[in-house]
Amino acid sequence: MSAKAIQAKDLHEKMEQGIFLLDVRNPEDYADWKIEGKKVRSINIPYFDFLDENEEIYRPLPADEEIVVICAKGGSAQMVADMLVEKGYEASYLEQGMNEWSQFYHPVTVMEDDALKLIQVNRLAKGCLSYMVISGEEALVVDPGRHIEEYLTLAQKEDIAIKYVLDTHLHADHISGGRELAQKSGAVYYISSGEMQGSDRPYEPLEKQGLLQVGSAEVKILAVPTPGHTPGSVSVLVNDQYLLSGDTIFVGGLGRPDLGGKAAEWAQALYDTVFTTIASLRDDVLVLPTHYADLSEISEAGYIGAQLGEIRRNNEVMRTVDRELFTEKVAHSVGATPPNYEEIVEVNRGTLEVTAEKATELEIGPNRCALHHG
Amino acid sequence: MNVDVFVDAKGLACPMPIVKAKKAVDAMESGQIMQVESTDKGSVNDFQSWVRANHHELLKMEEDAGVYRIFVRKG
Repeated sequence: MSAKAIQAKDLHEKMEQGIFLLDVRNPEDYADWKIEGKKVRSINIPYFDFLDENEEIYRPLPADEEIVVICAKGGSAQMVADMLVEKGYEASYLEQGMNEWSQFYHPVTVMEDDALKLIQVNRLAKGCLSYMVISGEEALVVDPGRHIEEYLTLAQKEDIAIKYVLDTHLHADHISGGRELAQKSGAVYYISSGEMQGSDRPYEPLEKQGLLQVGSAEVKILAVPTPGHTPGSVSVLVNDQYLLSGDTIFVGGLGRPDLGGKAAEWAQALYDTVFTTIASLRDDVLVLPTHYADLSEISEAGYIGAQLGEIRRNNEVMRTVDRELFTEKVAHSVGATPPNYEEIVEVNRGTLEVTAEKATELEIGPNRCALHHG
Repeated sequence: MNVDVFVDAKGLACPMPIVKAKKAVDAMESGQIMQVESTDKGSVNDFQSWVRANHHELLKMEEDAGVYRIFVRKG
């Protein structure tokens, strides 16, 4: 008997219930990037260890529950899962491995009333979040990932037309689906012109667009320039209540200012954003960022977001009014850069074309755009 | 380099290159040298971990037009 293949969607459902994962990739790969969840237990035993007739290595595996085997592309996970089934374990494997997992998107409704529905689309493997702001029969999509069929399907399900698509900034850790989604859905594509220098792609300059109208007049979308992560970063304020903050403010801290090679300069801009632009926003504004870095950032309701007041309270750097100290803190504690970020920026700017296969390769790995300050 | 055993894993996807190499190594004497050829980029990293975990010695790795040549001395 051979083990059953499952898809990323099935795996996610199992993860919500609680699941045991056996990751059979290299220890280095596992340490660098793995599937995580609040109810996920996982261990790493490389697939080649199973080639030895050594009963010892089966010892950490639970005999009385399902085990899902994970590898990079599915092949070695299938082999190990088959071996487990042979030995009487209940095992399945993620059919196309981390490759498939990195392309899985999960939509969660953040809020819904008569005038407005806000959906957060979570690309779990990357920690990338995008949004659909729906009112009446129209929608705005913010920071869509490269797999635009996810948003087209969602639009169909919600029975709305995508009217606007925008990128809060030029992303460095994932390839944007913004321009392509706008093209496919006949929407207007916005991004700040400061981000698109050297590009010959068509777009509408976001910084010139104060107010966007989506659906009923009650939904007000304000583009707020919030430089710091990049010079042209813009946040989106919906109905004075929801701040789609891009990479500027996260639940766990602030955006890194170093990816343009001008960390100190951009940190100054981030300072002004925090202590001037954002300072005027109320504590009860809900911050909905484009990334998260830790599972603890997922709220009880299942989405990633936190009230501005809470973020101010929990992050010392948000209260570091001393400009010099602030700059020091955000510019010098950035950690590893996102893999391949220079190429990804070029793809997003339109100065480099890549195949879908190459795009998948560039995006492999975890997100590293969210900064964490102790 | 004097190669004792040659393993052709070209065109095979993970996990087959390691599976074939493992079979070949099992039949070798300690100190003998195996040459593996693989076209699976992902298996290159796996070879490094596998060799280390099994106390063999990775002598050399080279790439030529998408073919990875891996030389391993059995430990």
